[in-house]
This record gives sequence, structure tokens and C-alpha cells, in this order.
Amino acid sequence: MIPPSYRARPASAAVPWGAWGLRAAAILYLGALVLVPLAVIVQDGLRQGLAGLWRAISLPIAWHALRLTFWTAAVMACINAVMGTLTSYVLVRYQFPGKRLLEAMVDLPLAIPTLVTGVMLVVLYGPQSPLGGWLESSFGWRVIFAPPGIVLALLFVTFPFVVRTVQPVLEDLDREQEDAAATLGAGAWTIFRRVTLPALSLSILSGALLSFSRAIGEFGAIVIVAGNIPLYSQTAAVYVLGEVESENRLGASAVSIVMLATSLGLVWLVDALHRRLVRR
Amino acid sequence: MNKMLSARLQAAFGLLALVLLCACGGTAEEEVGARLILGAYTTPREAYSELIPIFQSRWESQGGQPVTFEESYLGSGAQSRAIIEGFEADVAALSLQADIERIAEAGLITHDWRAAPYGGMVSTSIVAFAVRSGNPLAIQDWADLARPGVEVLTPNPRTSGGAMWNILGLYGAALRGGVQGVPEGDEAAATEFLKAVLRNLSVMDKSARDSMTTFENGVGDVAITYENEVLVGQQAGQDYELVIPASTILIENPVALVDEYVDQHGVRPAAEAFVEFLFSAEAQEVFARHGLRSPDTGVAASTASLYPPVPDLFTITDQFGGWETATPGFFGDQGIFTQAIIEVQGE
Repeated sequence: MIPPSYRARPASAAVPWGAWGLRAAAILYLGALVLVPLAVIVQDGLRQGLAGLWRAISLPIAWHALRLTFWTAAVMACINAVMGTLTSYVLVRYQFPGKRLLEAMVDLPLAIPTLVTGVMLVVLYGPQSPLGGWLESSFGWRVIFAPPGIVLALLFVTFPFVVRTVQPVLEDLDREQEDAAATLGAGAWTIFRRVTLPALSLSILSGALLSFSRAIGEFGAIVIVAGNIPLYSQTAAVYVLGEVESENRLGASAVSIVMLATSLGLVWLVDALHRRLVRR
Repeated sequence: MNKMLSARLQAAFGLLALVLLCACGGTAEEEVGARLILGAYTTPREAYSELIPIFQSRWESQGGQPVTFEESYLGSGAQSRAIIEGFEADVAALSLQADIERIAEAGLITHDWRAAPYGGMVSTSIVAFAVRSGNPLAIQDWADLARPGVEVLTPNPRTSGGAMWNILGLYGAALRGGVQGVPEGDEAAATEFLKAVLRNLSVMDKSARDSMTTFENGVGDVAITYENEVLVGQQAGQDYELVIPASTILIENPVALVDEYVDQHGVRPAAEAFVEFLFSAEAQEVFARHGLRSPDTGVAASTASLYPPVPDLFTITDQFGGWETATPGFFGDQGIFTQAIIEVQGE
């Protein structure tokens, strides 16, 4: 028998303090950890108003650094979209020896300090390495200490993003449509292009955008592989370090705001895409 | 087998307990004496690891309370900002006068630190080149850095305060007639020469040490760097060679006591004695063993075989009117260096 006092609680105890406390804790934590620092940067960058912000980012070196950051990230995101989709397709649809190992390796780039990634790429592709030397002497391609090195480093550090957004969608995908297409005589490529790919397109896009947004802020690997020559191979994150070191807080914050705003916009876009994906 | 293992374990625990006991005893004792916090730039780390024990025994033999040290090594600019923002270093040893002055401007250094011997400069060096073993490209002087096909390394002066020395050394040498083909005092020609060298740049690392690491990894034909970086690298077994140009700039590294923190910690006597000790001939010889030139004429004379005199050595003050004018004039948005790199990369 349950004692009656346990069954009927007084009304005041019905206020869900626990739930509210949890919410407050989460919001406070997010605010202290993320929002306040971001607000400081934004306030810092706007110290001289929008005109000051514009002046700081339209300096030739700053402007070039931002452009370089965005185009290398865009190239990376396109390659990631294709190769990440391919990788997840292979991981989901095929059985082969070493699959488990490959599966585990996908997330490895997230675990390696990006500085180490940079050092590793220089050792592998640098002008002094056999591979880098061969690429340069045979094709005139300089990979390391040039923009291609930046793309390479970004590809490495953002590898899991597309794979990990596409893979679950692919796993949940109803294969009946593919089977129906095959019965109707469609080839494998046609099935992939007309049936599978349309179902994956949103997740591919959101994975690519996430990797782009992650790439904008990448520093550790890039500072090692890029060569960091202003107006040639210096990215926005490295430029920001230079301005911090030279006590130009406004210049540093202004460029940071552009990077932040872009990342934020993309994350929102990805979020919206996910909602659409879930609704389907 | 098991018995042996447990015996070993017991021995290990016994030893551990002993060590802990000793360590505790040690700290309890140290708490009585002073604790000095040294905030330094990275280059003289090895020198300080030799200097501190010497100072400790000197200080104690003169009747001082035992003094312990806490050392922090960072890039000079970052260290300077950390001290301003509350890293309570009692003594600041940095690579640039500007980094000490920043601390003074923040009100933390209140005495006239430049009244110390040699204007507060505890060590000096010069801007020089590191070249590959055997100097295959026969790089002898500044003019060789502008030859087509020579790959040059220097850190970025925006990220590395010390890299400003390199650019100022190059430009000053050109202005003083130290570069073939650049008439003395011709600023336009000196700027053209700077641009020619910038065209040969392949990597701009974020610090002097990073730049030497890149060079050690086989990138580049010549690295513009400081003499002490090359000498320390050679001591560590690197096979690159040092080339000293005929005309170059004197690098001066200041040291100063940070009054605010020293008084907060109540360690003024020990901190003052330590700074004074750094200027003594004994300490200067230790710096000289670690690649740094001594401002002390006596020590400089006795180490002249290691540090050959430079035919035309100039300082930032006499060539450029000090950092107050050189920093904005060269590295500001409209500065000579900034504009030169914009023009070179725009070509």
C-alpha cells in the first residue's frame, strides 16, 4: 500500500523547478561560454561604427585574406560534397574487407590536432619531399606554401562532415524505389543519379555547408602549410593573429566579424535544411 | 613471480612516499623565502636555466632568504600583453624595447628602467643569414637575397615583433650604402631593393623560431634571422651556416623589474638583485655561451672570436629614430613594408 501522503502532493510542489533549473543552466552556460565572447568581438569591431569596420576589412591585405579564405573553403566544400558522398555510399552499400577500419578512420581527422595535420602535410607534399618535389618539377604544381596546400589542409580537417551527414540518410533510405528503377531497366548510374542522389541532395548540401563554415576559422593546419604571404597565401585567421599581435584590435575584430557572420549564416542555413529534411 | 612483483610494488610505493615527503618538506621550506616570477621571451630560455641556479646560490651565500623561480616563456609581444592583463611577472625579459614600454605605459613599471646599465638592454644580437651547408649559392651580403631564384624566408613582422628587425636591417643597410646598386640615402632605390627581396619570399612564418624550423625542414635557400638563432641551432647540431652581412642592425633585448607586481609580492630586494645580476660579467658570459652578444665591453672583447665585429653596425635609434617612428613608418597600413608587399603581390 502506498501511503496517501505520497499520492497527493501539495500544488506548490507541482512547479517543475528541476526542468526550469535545467533550462536556466543550459542558457546561462551557452550565454557565458558563447554569446558573451561573441558579443565582445562584435562590440570591438564596431568601435568605430560600420564605416570603421568597412575601412578595416577593405584594406588590401585584409580583403585578400578574406577572399582567399572563402574561395579555398568553397573549393574544399565542392570536393568534399563529391568525395564525401562517394565515401558514405561505399560505406553503406558495399561490404568489403577493412570496412570497419575505414569506418573508424573517417572521424580520425577530428581527433588529430590540426597543427599536426599541417606538419604531416608539409612532410608529405612539401617541396623537399619526393612527392612534392616531383609534382613541382614535373607539373610545376606547388602544393605546400601555396593556396592548393590550404585546400588540401581543409579537405583533411573537414573530411568527416559530409560523410557523417549523408551516411544516416543513406542508411534510412527506402531501397524499394531503387529496386523498382532497376526492374524498369535503369542502369546503376542512372539509378544513382535519378533516384538516390535527389534523396541525398539536402544532406549533401548541409554537410558541405558545415564543412565550409568549419573551414573559415581553421588556423592550426593552415599556418603551417600556407606560407602566409600577405596577398597571396595568407588566410583571414592568420591575418587576425597578425593584427592581434600588432595591437590592431579593430582590424582583428572587423575581419573576425565577417568570418563569424558567414559561419553563423551558414549554420542557420544548415539548420533550416535539416528541418526540411526531417519534415520529409 | 607474484611475490617478486608485490615486493617491487612495495619498494616503488615506499620510494614514492619518500619522494612526496621530500617534496613537501621542500615546499614548506621554500614558502619562507621569496618566489620570483620571470616572464621572458623564448630565445634565452636555455641561458636562464643556467643563470637562475647561479643567482640562487649567490643570493643565499650573501645571506638572502632562499629564492625560487617560476619561469614563463612566450613570444615577446604575447608575453608583454599577458603581463599587462594580469600575469604577475616580477621581472620581464623581452626581445623588444616596445614590449617593455607597453608595460610601462600600462602603469606597471614605474621606475626609469632605461637607467639600468646599457639602457636596460641585457643582451644584444644582430640580424644575419642562415644559409645551407657549404653556402652553395654563395650568399655573402644583402644584395644576394634579391638575385632571381634565391628563395628567402623571414617571419611576418605583423605576427612577430622580432621580424621587424629583419626588415629594418635590410632597409637600413640599403640606405647606408650597404647594398650594391643602391645609392646611399636613396629611399626609392632602397624600397625597390626591399621589393626585390620580397619577390623571393616563399614562406612567412608567425615567429622567428617557426621560420628557422621551416628552414631546418629544408625549405628556402636563405633565412633572414638573428645571429643567436643560427648559433643556437648549430649548437644543437644543425648544419646550416651563419653569414653576417657587412652592414646590419643591432638587436637589443631589454629586461626590467615590474614594480607593481614586485611590490604586491613583496619581493623587491630579490628582484632587484636578480636584475642587477643579469648585467654582471658572470651572467653576460652565460648569455654569450648561448649565442647572444654582450653589451659589456669586457665580455664582448673576451668573446670577440665567437662574435666578429660588424663593419657597419647601426641601431634602430640612429637609423630610424626609434620604434615610435619605425613601427608605423614601416609596418602601419601606409608603411613602407606594407605598401611594398602590396605592390609586389599585385604585380
